[in-house]
Amino acid sequence: MLIRAIAISASLAVIAGCAAPTRYIDPAADDGPVAMTMDYRDFEKAASDAVEDMLASGAVNNPDGGRYIMVVSRITNDTMQRIDTDQLTKKIRVSLLQSGKVVTTTAVGLNGAEDEMTMKARELRDSAEFDQSGVQRKGTLQAPDLSLSGKILQRNHKVGKEQQVEYYIQLSLTDLASGLAVWEGETPIIKRGSDSSVSW
Amino acid sequence: MKILLLASLLVLGLAGCASQPETRSLSDRQNLKVDPEVVYTMAVTELFEERLAQPDGNSLLHVQFAVEARSDAELAWKVTWFDDSGMVVKSVGEGYRKATLLTGQVRYFSATAPHARVTSYQLHLREPK
Repeated sequence: MLIRAIAISASLAVIAGCAAPTRYIDPAADDGPVAMTMDYRDFEKAASDAVEDMLASGAVNNPDGGRYIMVVSRITNDTMQRIDTDQLTKKIRVSLLQSGKVVTTTAVGLNGAEDEMTMKARELRDSAEFDQSGVQRKGTLQAPDLSLSGKILQRNHKVGKEQQVEYYIQLSLTDLASGLAVWEGETPIIKRGSDSSVSW
Repeated sequence: MKILLLASLLVLGLAGCASQPETRSLSDRQNLKVDPEVVYTMAVTELFEERLAQPDGNSLLHVQFAVEARSDAELAWKVTWFDDSGMVVKSVGEGYRKATLLTGQVRYFSATAPHARVTSYQLHLREPK
C-alpha cells in the first residue's frame, strides 16, 4: 500500500514537473504555434487590413472636414466557433477613433443602445432631485453617418491527410444617407493542419 | 520673506515660459531593418513611400515594399510608425504580419499610417521562428 502511494506521488510529481509553465505572451513578439480555430492574431490581421484599407481608400474622409459618426451594425458569426465579434469590431473602432476620422456612437444599436446610460441619463430631465443645468438637453444626440456590418464565414475541407479550414472576414461600411457601401473588404485566413485538430 | 516670494514667482514664471521638451534620438533610426537570417533567402528590391492627401489638408504616410525570394521562405514584417518627435504612434496591431514566398517570387506589401501626424517609419523584416 505504501509502495503504491509512493509510486503514485512520484508519478504526479514527474507529470507536474513536465507540464508547461503558465507564462505571459507578448502579442508584439508571439511566434507561438497556430491554432486551427480563430485566435487573437487572426482578428488583429483582419482589423489591420480593414482599417488600413479604409484610411488609404479615403472612404472615412469626411469632405466637410469633421469626423464621421459610425454605428456598429450586425456582424454575423457563421462559423462553428463561439466568437464574440466585438473582438474584431473593437479593434476597428479604436483605430478609427485614434485616426481622428471616425467616432462611434454607443447610443444606437440593432438590439438597443450599446450604452443605455445615454437614454437613462435623460430620464433625469424635470426631476426635482437633480440640478437641471447638468442634465442633457433635448436634441443633443448625434445620428450616425456610417454603419459597419459584416460576416465571418468558415469552410472546412479535407486536403489529403490534412484538414484545411478557411475563414473569411467580410466587412462593409455603408453610407446611411445613400444606403451605398462606400467601402468593402474581405480578409481570408486559411489554415492547414492535422486532421485530428478541431476547429470549433 | 519678500526675496523668497519674488524668487518663487521668478522660478514659476520661468517654468511657465519653458518650451516643450524636445525628444532626442540616441541613435539614427533606419527606415529598413532586415535581419541577417532573411538576407540569405530574400532581398528587398523596392521601398517606396508617399503621402496620401486628405480632404482636411492633412496627409497619411503610405509605404510599399517589394521582396524577391531566392528560395522558398517565410517572412514576418512589421511597420512601426513615428511622429515628428520620434515618438511611436500606435496602430491597430502590434504583431508581425506573416507571408510565404516561393522561389523567384516577387511580392509587394504595403501599409498605411494610422494617423496624419506620422512622419517616419521603420520596417522590420525577420524570419518567423
